[in-house]
Amino acid sequence: MNTEEYKEKNFNRKAIVINPERACQPLGAVLCAAGFENTMPFVHGSHGCVAYYRNNLSRHFREPIAGVCTSLTEDGAVFGGQANGFEGFRNASALYKPEMFAISTTCMSEIIGDDLGSIVGGAREKGYLAEDIAAPYANTPSFVGSHLEGYDSMLNAIIETLGKKSDANKQDTINIIPGFDTTIGNINEIKRILKIFGINYLVLADYSNTLDSPLNGEYKLYPDGATKLEDVKNCVNNKAAIALQKFSTKKTAAALSEKFGQDVRVVKSPIGISYTDEFLMTLSELSGKEVPKELEDERGKAIDSMTDAQQYIHGKKFAIFGDPDMLMGLTGYLLEMGGIPKYVLCSNGTEEFKKEIEDLFASYSENQGEVYIDKDLWHLRSLLMTGPVDMLLGPSHGKFAAREANIPHIRVGYPIFDRVNIHRYPLYGYSGVINLTTWIVNKFLDILDDTSDDAHFELMR
Amino acid sequence: MHITAKEEYFDEPACEHNGVAKDKKACKTATPGSSTGGCALDGAYIVLSPIKDALNIVHAPINCLGNSYNQRTSETTQRENYYMYGFTTAINENDLIFGSEDKLRQGVIYVFNRFKPKAVFIYNTCVPALTGEDIEGVSKELAAKLKIPVVPVFSQGFSGNKNLGNKIAGDALFTHIIGRKEPEIDLLSDYNINLIGEYNIRGELFLIKKALKQAGINVLSTITGDSTIEEIMYSHKAGLNVVVCSKALIYLARKMKEKYGLPYIEGSFFGLTSTNKAIMDIVNSIGDYELTCSAKKYIKIRTRNTEENIYEYKRFLTGKKALLYTGGVKSWSLVSALNDLGMKVIATGVKKSTEEDKLRIKEIDGNGNIIMLDNGNPVNLIKIAREEQVDIILAGGRNQYTAIKSLIPFLDVNQERFNPYTSYEGMEFLAKQIYFEIKNPLFKLLKESNINL
Repeated sequence: MNTEEYKEKNFNRKAIVINPERACQPLGAVLCAAGFENTMPFVHGSHGCVAYYRNNLSRHFREPIAGVCTSLTEDGAVFGGQANGFEGFRNASALYKPEMFAISTTCMSEIIGDDLGSIVGGAREKGYLAEDIAAPYANTPSFVGSHLEGYDSMLNAIIETLGKKSDANKQDTINIIPGFDTTIGNINEIKRILKIFGINYLVLADYSNTLDSPLNGEYKLYPDGATKLEDVKNCVNNKAAIALQKFSTKKTAAALSEKFGQDVRVVKSPIGISYTDEFLMTLSELSGKEVPKELEDERGKAIDSMTDAQQYIHGKKFAIFGDPDMLMGLTGYLLEMGGIPKYVLCSNGTEEFKKEIEDLFASYSENQGEVYIDKDLWHLRSLLMTGPVDMLLGPSHGKFAAREANIPHIRVGYPIFDRVNIHRYPLYGYSGVINLTTWIVNKFLDILDDTSDDAHFELMR
Repeated sequence: MHITAKEEYFDEPACEHNGVAKDKKACKTATPGSSTGGCALDGAYIVLSPIKDALNIVHAPINCLGNSYNQRTSETTQRENYYMYGFTTAINENDLIFGSEDKLRQGVIYVFNRFKPKAVFIYNTCVPALTGEDIEGVSKELAAKLKIPVVPVFSQGFSGNKNLGNKIAGDALFTHIIGRKEPEIDLLSDYNINLIGEYNIRGELFLIKKALKQAGINVLSTITGDSTIEEIMYSHKAGLNVVVCSKALIYLARKMKEKYGLPYIEGSFFGLTSTNKAIMDIVNSIGDYELTCSAKKYIKIRTRNTEENIYEYKRFLTGKKALLYTGGVKSWSLVSALNDLGMKVIATGVKKSTEEDKLRIKEIDGNGNIIMLDNGNPVNLIKIAREEQVDIILAGGRNQYTAIKSLIPFLDVNQERFNPYTSYEGMEFLAKQIYFEIKNPLFKLLKESNINL
């Protein structure tokens, strides 16, 4: 089982996924909805799906997550889900009084062929759904794509439904689209950078507060600080948009650009020095402002922290897994540090992603690694057992493979169930560089101390 | 094709509320737009996955497993344990068009060759149920080919809730596993029981087994915590079934009684009173004089011992108010456990409880003051907690952050719990944890900071 032969057999496996490393579309849709004020995620489907999304997201953020479903049953399979949809709107409106329902579908409603447009329309006509409750909807079946596509479709639906094009309302504000990013620290870091720059911005969708709400004694079903619906209406008139993830914002970016004529820039997730530079240059270009000295200094400090620590990473081999945009950034960062990203494994990666990683490898000719798409954690295990690396970077589910391979595992990405507060620290920006360096290097140093004999247990590290 | 759940599931003579609702199916429908509990797949997976040498393959798009595996614990003494693995066919669009029976077939063969499981459970879910795949046929064919039980579990989510899923899993075990083997003689003692509905979260089963063993009772099989396929196969040779959790598995106990003449009782091991009662109920059912005497003696010693150990906690907790939101058997047995600690239970959830469970709550309560909560929506919970000025909420993970956000101490007593709460040792953990949660200095810190409360 730890042999090359088994690895080959394992990689030829087509029929079954062992230890999956991706979630499904509606989970992305529910996360997206959490970024808009007074919004209730409304999932049209059978009973259990929403419970899974809520558990999953709740365990990552350690926060309550709202969400309802239409509880389709066998009757729904036969007669369609309209009746449940109507009743769902009526009940959820009465119970939770939302300003918006962010409606997504599941496998079941997709297979029975329910038409969300006519259900929403019918519900309005018959009075189950009040006119003043916005109801954008997206098709998000689990049998295609992953949480990335679900997030994208929901965000796109919300912008297309609410957005009102008007020349009179043109703003110099820049839309920031984080994408499916469960690292709250990333969104906060971007906001901090924009503030230093002095650029007006609007984050779509901003759950950095709602999924990190202060503990002040009052539970709120809809916590403060999400993107305001009023701002969403006007977002299509803003000056430009920057998408911080390429693979989870394709639809939205295309719609903003093609339908609303917005100047849309899709940048690499700003992880590591080069991609952060790229992001700052984009900001500078769009705003016409120079990169502030404060940020230049941050860059210098981040590079200083890297040089202080590079000897611990240079030449070390890494396996990384998770969502494509984060992997792009992590690969870039490791290469900058002289690390070898030996395996980059992405369950929901595309050929386009694979090509981009390979190009990145090629630009650092010495440090070539291997990139795998559409693979699971059992594949990852085979890789770790046959061609060992020094460290694993990725979400919590990787811990079993890391333990078997006897290597350390740094938690980054989604979901993180077994460590606290990691999602509060940015990977983005120059601060992110310092965080990554701190986590990785100190982990190596901890291991050195834990495993060294008395003769080599030294203060000088 | 099993697109509909068996009518029989909704007609449970052993269930006190059978026929109480006008429509028997009342117990399976959920209200659209309000409820978001788990589905039948969730319920079935919870029951079957703790069997440590069996594999569980979820025949579904990535959702069903991708979002949900590794969300519970079930400890085991054996190294080779498939509980933490997740297997799914990850049905995609192509499979929908061309069918995925063959994919399933190949998947099962692959994992069989690699893991050598003693059985495979194949879960039917919404998608293959709707497209009408012949899971039963594939299972039969594979069982013959691989010479192990390959069991179809018809747990498509739209059939109903978690409780229904428990029942479906029980039925799968009854139909395909139980009665297929005879136990070795040395596995049997004079008094053999099965525990039904104990999943060994945080090792709770280990504590129950320990107590039972010391009282002179042998646990032949556990359905299903820390169990093997083999032990479930010969479980019909026990002298008594003890249903410890989730009323839904009473279905299995009743079926075993009908087929094998195996009697059953219900019991709970949360709290001193419940644990003692469960042990006494078991020995009384067995009806052996010597066993009864030795069990009584054991209980007396253990009770005194536990009471000594929790004395300081109990002194602090006496008179403190608790709000309990959990389902099924736990609703009454935790009320009893909290009573043991001198606490006053203001309200308890009864959403998944039966009429009998509710009667028990009233019995334990005495004054009849406990509020029975049918609606667990967070706003409602917090409202009651505030009005009644409770000192702690005991509930499951989904309510955890709601309670904490409202500055109300909280203890998780559902699947995410950090400690075992069963039996005598569990009582000590429970007392200590409740004490620790209420005494948590953070709450004091926040209240003193004089923010809007």
